[in-house]
Amino acid sequence: MDFKLPPLGEGADSGTVVNLFVKEGDQIARDQAILELENEKAVATIPSTGAGTVTKVFVKAGEKISVGQRILSFNETGAAPSSQGTPKSEAKPTAEPAPAPAKDAGEPQGEPEPAKATPGVPPPASPSLRKLAADLGIDLTRVRGSERGGRIVLADLRRYIEQLQSANSGKAPAPAESNPPVAKPAPEQIDFSKWGPVEIKPFSPLRQVIARRMTENWNAIPHVTQFDEADITQLEALRKKHAPEYEKKGARLTLTSFALKAVVETLKKHPLFNCSLDEASNELVIKKYFHIGIAVDTEAGLIVPVLRDVDKKNLLELSKELEDLAKKARERKVSAEELKGGSFTISNQGGIGGAHFTPIINRPEVAILGIGRGIMKPVVREQKIEPRLMMPLGLSYDHRVIDGGIAARFIVDLVKSFQEFQL
Amino acid sequence: MDPIKTEIVVVGAGPGGYAAAFYAADLGKKVILLERDLRLGGVCLNRGCIPSKALLYAAHSITTARESEHRGISFGSPTLDLAKLRTWKESIITKLSGGIAQLAKMRGVQVMTGRGYFEDSHKLRLETEQGQQFIHYEQAIIAVGSRSAMPKAFDLGNPRIMTSREALEVEDIPENLLVIGGGYIGMELGTVYATLGSKVVLVEALDTILAGADPDLARPVVAYAKKAFKEVRLKTKVSKMATVGKQIKVEFELDGKKTEESYDRVLVAVGRSPNANDLGLENTKVTLDDKGFIQVNDKQQTTDPAIYAIGDIAGGVLLAHKASKEARIAVEVIVGESSSFTNVTIPAVVFTDPELAWCGLTEAEAKAKGIAVQVAKFPWAASGRALSFDRTDGLTKLIIEPETDRILGVGIVGAGAGELISEGVLAVEMGATAMDLALTVHPHPTLSETIMEAAEAFYGHATHTFTRKKLE
Repeated sequence: MDFKLPPLGEGADSGTVVNLFVKEGDQIARDQAILELENEKAVATIPSTGAGTVTKVFVKAGEKISVGQRILSFNETGAAPSSQGTPKSEAKPTAEPAPAPAKDAGEPQGEPEPAKATPGVPPPASPSLRKLAADLGIDLTRVRGSERGGRIVLADLRRYIEQLQSANSGKAPAPAESNPPVAKPAPEQIDFSKWGPVEIKPFSPLRQVIARRMTENWNAIPHVTQFDEADITQLEALRKKHAPEYEKKGARLTLTSFALKAVVETLKKHPLFNCSLDEASNELVIKKYFHIGIAVDTEAGLIVPVLRDVDKKNLLELSKELEDLAKKARERKVSAEELKGGSFTISNQGGIGGAHFTPIINRPEVAILGIGRGIMKPVVREQKIEPRLMMPLGLSYDHRVIDGGIAARFIVDLVKSFQEFQL
Repeated sequence: MDPIKTEIVVVGAGPGGYAAAFYAADLGKKVILLERDLRLGGVCLNRGCIPSKALLYAAHSITTARESEHRGISFGSPTLDLAKLRTWKESIITKLSGGIAQLAKMRGVQVMTGRGYFEDSHKLRLETEQGQQFIHYEQAIIAVGSRSAMPKAFDLGNPRIMTSREALEVEDIPENLLVIGGGYIGMELGTVYATLGSKVVLVEALDTILAGADPDLARPVVAYAKKAFKEVRLKTKVSKMATVGKQIKVEFELDGKKTEESYDRVLVAVGRSPNANDLGLENTKVTLDDKGFIQVNDKQQTTDPAIYAIGDIAGGVLLAHKASKEARIAVEVIVGESSSFTNVTIPAVVFTDPELAWCGLTEAEAKAKGIAVQVAKFPWAASGRALSFDRTDGLTKLIIEPETDRILGVGIVGAGAGELISEGVLAVEMGATAMDLALTVHPHPTLSETIMEAAEAFYGHATHTFTRKKLE
């Protein structure tokens, strides 16, 4: 039977294959990660819905695939084949929400999708749009449809035309323009081996995604990073005291759990840090929920799963969930849904070491907190020098949305939250 | 008489011709519309779609009356006044035809009656009762249609051997009627005569009735015909006919065996032939295909740059609404638009009892062409509306593209299917998905709900049927 790309949830109906974990002949189990798919702002693993031996793989890394597209076929094992040959896999009893209309699925591509249309059937578009396309001499099979079932609407046609125009103007001898050129000149090839031995390693698709995102976020947002330090001497004592009892309940009490609580408490006082800027409508979208992204360092690279409704969960629940998510991220089993919807991000490098750093904001969020390793420092308290455990904080914020004064107030409140933490 | 000059001349005033003439006039062209009959409207209006529907409707009241007995309402046996029936039918045609003449007048389309004959690519000779008249035109649109085919072997000059044209005149109700041909004309007119009292035997040379429709959709129609007709014979050929007194002796051939029977009348409904003769086309650059239809491209252009052809004469499916669509394309091409007859969904409707209608891709066609499709069905036995008028012998089905859930075709059999199919045509034309149909609220209780419920069944959650899962 075939395994097809299942619905991806809100707002997405396609993505690019970042990594393919199986090949022909492999045994796959239900829920085993089949591939990693990048779409919009997330890279997620797609788990298998069946078990068996892979007979054929239809996609490859780097390919753009849509919901419903066949990924691989496999011979079912274990279960007796059903007599009517009607596969049972997708019969989920739960009311799965219908695949939502794909808004803006992926950016317009230079290369059109290969036409996999049914022979003799026109591209899915209304008669009036087909007439318009015919009048304009545009082949609609080359236009990507954004509506349900890939239906092409006027906006898609317009986007395609704009794309054609920009492609054409890119080819023309570049007149002095304020816009950056469409295609950057290829960087000069340097032969590093002439200065010494080198090793060539592939720049993995996941890394390419990270690279692109970081560049986009860095370019789009005027970053400012506000530094401070929080005295966590008391907090660390608290952690050590309660860690064994948490351990018994099956949870590891870490500084990140405290940070989640402290951050949400501060976000509630400064809702601007929990918003997004809608550049199209010039509106600020203040979120009334607190979903916090946690940067997880994995072998392959950075993954940021999102912990939902942090304000509604207690420290034990958060600690458990945090551990689960981090584990899933390292095993690359995080679903697309779990990577979406964050309203603020925490990157805690304290477990590794290092002091202040300037994290890059995870767009469309407007701020991110970078936590360094807490170290004992001599601190002046009430005219006396005392050794205190100080934790470095770096708060990067979007200066379009947030001004320095507000950011300073935020970090002051955040430091206070850490220092006055009550269990 | 001085030759008349015009921009466009349209030859033939059927649903293709008059649509072309009107549209061209609406776009500001000077138009002459030629028609050899005194009445406008062509076969469709005068001896096809409209009178056959009128007769089917009239006859249906007999069926309705009979069927209402078990509901406790009885009428006794009907009496038939054929003259009155004919008059009523004629009154409809007169009204419609007069309406077309009126519309032509209001648009300034000059209607001329007579036979058109091409002298060359830009000149037409019109033979009227008053004499000859020459028309110089810039473009001509040929829309002369088709006529019932009458194979030579059957053409005995006996008026009891009829085509649809004569059958629609309903001169009498023969006791025994043979219908040759199991296509839509044979099935529709067979139904009329059977209901009005004839013992109808229908023979078809192929092994299927209504070839072209999916078998599961044709099934209720065939079932009804088998009940209403005396007999339906498949794979049977009529090899010979002869006049014997007031009857026709017919020789059948089935599996190499020959049998003979006598009938009071015979209806020959074996197809239609193009009216391409006697038009003087040899004086133009127009070419015909091997079946005698005018060759056109997707812009309705013939091989003569000044001449367009639309409707039955241009081949393809011989349907009025296809002619009307081609009319618009021809006119738009003439005025310089980039229109073409590509990717046009032409619905087909058979007005049998129950009606049968489909559009877009059929299941059989998909199978034949190796196109992977998914099929969703909703049987009318689950429709409250169908139950409420005792016609649960219906089925609504959707042909769906597997990857996108897009609707590629719709097929409906059941009472009023001809009216219901238009939603299917719109869905196909719009590139709608099954989800679009499922999410569109349909009024209750109506038969239109079967379209929504078929779509819902595709996703495994139709209210009035139980499907275990999304169809794979």
